[in-house]
Amino acid sequence: MHPSIELQQLRKAYGDFLAVDNISLSVEPGQVYGLLGPNGAGKTTTIRMLMDIIAPDRGRVLFFGQPRTRSELRRVGYLPEERGLYRKMTVLDHLIFLGELRGLSRRQAIAAIDTYLERVELTEWRKSKVEELSKGMQQKIQLVGTILHDPDIVVLDEPFSGLDPINQGLFKEILSEFKGRGKTILFSTHVMEQAEKLCDAIGLIARGKVVLDGDLAEIKKSFGRNSYRLVASGDLSQIKSIPGIEDCVEHDHFARILLASDTNGSQVLRRLVEFLDVEEFQSEEPDLVEIFVAAVRKAGLVTDETDPRQ
Amino acid sequence: MNPDPRNIRIIAKREYLARIRSKGFWISTFALPFLMGAWIVIPSLVATKTKSSQRLAVVDLTNKEVAPALVEKLDQWAERTAQQVSFEIELIAPEEDTEALRSRLDERILEGDIQAWVWIDEPGLVDNTVEYHAESLTNFITQGTLERALSSVVRRTRLEDEGYDAEVIGALTRSVQLETVRVSEEGSTADAGIGGFVLAIALFMVLYMTTLIYGNQVMLGVLEEKSSRVVEVLVATIRPLELMLGKLIGIGLIGLTQLAIWVSAALLLTAPALVGLTAAMPENVQIPTLTVGLVAHFLGLFILGYFFYATFYAMVGSAFNNPQEAQQLASLAVVWLVLPWIFFMPILNDPDSTLAVVTSLIPLFTPTLMMLRIAVKTPPAWQIFLGYALTIALCFGMTWLCARIYRVGILMYGKKPTLKELWRWIRYA
Repeated sequence: MHPSIELQQLRKAYGDFLAVDNISLSVEPGQVYGLLGPNGAGKTTTIRMLMDIIAPDRGRVLFFGQPRTRSELRRVGYLPEERGLYRKMTVLDHLIFLGELRGLSRRQAIAAIDTYLERVELTEWRKSKVEELSKGMQQKIQLVGTILHDPDIVVLDEPFSGLDPINQGLFKEILSEFKGRGKTILFSTHVMEQAEKLCDAIGLIARGKVVLDGDLAEIKKSFGRNSYRLVASGDLSQIKSIPGIEDCVEHDHFARILLASDTNGSQVLRRLVEFLDVEEFQSEEPDLVEIFVAAVRKAGLVTDETDPRQ
Repeated sequence: MNPDPRNIRIIAKREYLARIRSKGFWISTFALPFLMGAWIVIPSLVATKTKSSQRLAVVDLTNKEVAPALVEKLDQWAERTAQQVSFEIELIAPEEDTEALRSRLDERILEGDIQAWVWIDEPGLVDNTVEYHAESLTNFITQGTLERALSSVVRRTRLEDEGYDAEVIGALTRSVQLETVRVSEEGSTADAGIGGFVLAIALFMVLYMTTLIYGNQVMLGVLEEKSSRVVEVLVATIRPLELMLGKLIGIGLIGLTQLAIWVSAALLLTAPALVGLTAAMPENVQIPTLTVGLVAHFLGLFILGYFFYATFYAMVGSAFNNPQEAQQLASLAVVWLVLPWIFFMPILNDPDSTLAVVTSLIPLFTPTLMMLRIAVKTPPAWQIFLGYALTIALCFGMTWLCARIYRVGILMYGKKPTLKELWRWIRYA
């Protein structure tokens, strides 16, 4: 089966600034794919090229194994990062308008709108003007507008930013339902914790490049075999000089140590106790932030500016 | 790839419905004719209703009864026509001590007892002058009326002094008026000229105003889509060009709707009066009528002019973040729209002059100036055709250029772009 979405060597430069540098990735049908990276990494530019909003300098986009055409974009539901509604329109008129743009007839649109408005508990607001709705309600309307034409692919750029916790929950629920029906979902976020809970696969982007991508469970497993949690006192800065240690990330109360694949934990522990007072040393899966930082360093990209925790 | 008509239709429909349902549309539809009417009617109402009356002292040192004749003349005029000024004249008997009399009259002016005094004497009449003393000398209408009355009276006096019959001379020296006849292919008709003139001004004005109003609406619409962040949701399914064209068409149709309301209201309101007027007119006199050809040209030129300027406005709206920023560049369009006013009178006076031909063929001016020429005297067909062709060509060029800026601009937020940056946007593939 063909991937739902395939990006092949996309590149986009704005003057001297290379926003997206040779990005390739693919999303399988029924997958939830997280495009992760700090602000300014090139996520929005990538998604805009995916949606044919801006033209790439090079590379191409495939949907279901075929080069993307304009009409196929109607099979996609897109929620951009910069999103909004016409303030003076009624909820119903606005959603009909969005439905018609995606190829629905008026009747089809109204049927879908009634279903979804009930789902997000805004049925009694259908005749109200958008400007009368609270911000949270408007966000729900935006989500309904994105999916009311029952798209096969849903693309969301920073969908959770600015959402209150209740709406975040609702968004995740509705996206899970979509996934359950075999739809493909791609979303971007700079908050790694969100991706960790939702995604089947991820692509980590820094400075316009994919530094790591693939199945999330496999990525974590491969990092997990060589990842240790260390609680110790002494001069931690020497750790990196130990042969076989690929990376060491210091946290407030512990350090995360990543080993080269040909090294095992006991060898390293023997060296550590030589200059540290070790309290705890155990194998543990790293979280996405740590994987990201390690991947960025490994790719030779400067971490200071791309550290997602900043 | 060509724009999809279905998408353009959906956008145009939304634009049209959103506006036709707004209170603003109906308020402007009804308020604008009233404002324009008031603009034309009130000054003339004010002028006719507020008669200024002047208290005037007249000293007549001649023995020719000039002053009583003047009073009679002015009274006669006041009865016959709606004179804007009326005079309340006090005849002052001449005195030996003229200096004392003059200073006493000056004092009366300063006290506000009279507004002016007039001094008529023999040497003055020889030099063709009569002294007029007043605190304010800017009352040109009053002075003009007085001057004409005095001239008439003095002329009569002189004729009678020389032994002529003033009535006979008056009858013999009456001036001649041109009786104007408009020659066209449909046959010659007597035409006061003023009708065509009014029609030309009206069409010119309406074109100018509608282009300005609806062009501005397009700009504000684009800015609203940007500031409400709705635009990226739209361009994910439809192309920016389709969005822009849909917007232009939707708002253009609103403009046509408004024009249709105004025209039919005007016809309904003035039809009875026109019928009455026609009945009262001599048979071969024609009231300027809106011929089908004229209306067709008006619509065609309105659509072209609107399309050209509205595209520019859409581009300006897309490049900036709020109306304040956009105003600077938008005023460029206003300049081009106002410039034709300079050529208005020369073209009206000689619609076939080189100036008229050249300016009406400049695409930016064609909509208004070609309309003016067509209304006054039908230009050669090749000129009309060329005017349309050039304007259409420029519209395409404008659409191409503006669509490129629009495409980039609608996704740009924050900083106000410089002209250099706009140029770079055009070159982005």
